[in-house]
Amino acid sequence: MGLIDKLLRKYQNDWCRECNCTMEKARKQLFALPGVSVGHYTEHKDPAFYRKSLRIVDKKADIPPGMYACGAIQYRCPECARRVTVLDPFLPVRDEEKHEAGVVFSGGELDDFLWR
Amino acid sequence: MKTDQVKKINYAYLLSYILVPLAAAALSLFIGYTFFREGGTGAAICMFIIPFLAVLWWIFAPRNIYRLGKKRMVKQLDELGIDRRQIFYSDGCVVSMDIAKGKIGLMFFWNPFQVQVVPAARVSRAWTDDGAGGAGFLRGTSRVSFLFEIDGIKIRVNTFISNQRWKMNDEKVLEGISKADLWVQVLDQARSQGEGA
Repeated sequence: MGLIDKLLRKYQNDWCRECNCTMEKARKQLFALPGVSVGHYTEHKDPAFYRKSLRIVDKKADIPPGMYACGAIQYRCPECARRVTVLDPFLPVRDEEKHEAGVVFSGGELDDFLWR
Repeated sequence: MKTDQVKKINYAYLLSYILVPLAAAALSLFIGYTFFREGGTGAAICMFIIPFLAVLWWIFAPRNIYRLGKKRMVKQLDELGIDRRQIFYSDGCVVSMDIAKGKIGLMFFWNPFQVQVVPAARVSRAWTDDGAGGAGFLRGTSRVSFLFEIDGIKIRVNTFISNQRWKMNDEKVLEGISKADLWVQVLDQARSQGEGA
């Protein structure tokens, strides 16, 4: 792997910074954020907020208009078994999505949450 | 507080907005020309200050009267015991929705002295207009709004407006469409609630 590739990898969520290897996708889930409507989104860094607010949905069509959704992906390092949960809050608008800044929890804050 | 036919424009207010400053400016220019031909303070007031105030009135008055109207609307809705947690402030009107009671509160830019409360059951239809136009890479919009009809009167509430054309997948446009879709859903919900009551 070239130097530029290594530098770029550092900013990717699926890259284990400890082992310098690509993490595998362990779990993927779509959630609704029923308390957050269009125009009222504020970024939260507190995992407790997500534990309280996220509701599992099967598909995007289940999210009512004007309400935020949140995609969650949990990555697992095949070498050190470290887990990282990446949350991607977005506003579904018909066939499009308006994405907000992603939130990364790499300290194990939401490790069990996605496996409920 | 009115509950009969929805009135979007108060013509007395609209005409007075245009004509009163015009008349004041014309009268003051006439007085200045007739009585202060030699100049002085009177000439400055009549020929400059009063016409200038008329121009300021045309520019700033409606927006400020509308702003005060919004505050008054909130107070009046509270007095009536109407839940105003769902309220949308647009450039042309304010819409408030009490789903439980099936009531819609309305206040218009050109009728800012009247808060109109109508039963939601009188809404015949509600829809979103994304204003999409153009073809190919020029496809875009400069206005997104939701519309509804009360007794055949169409009311347009803008959720996004711009003097430029924006791509349909632009964040501002998407937010406008989302707000409009949300309000259409709220209107439909309130209408069905009102019909059931």
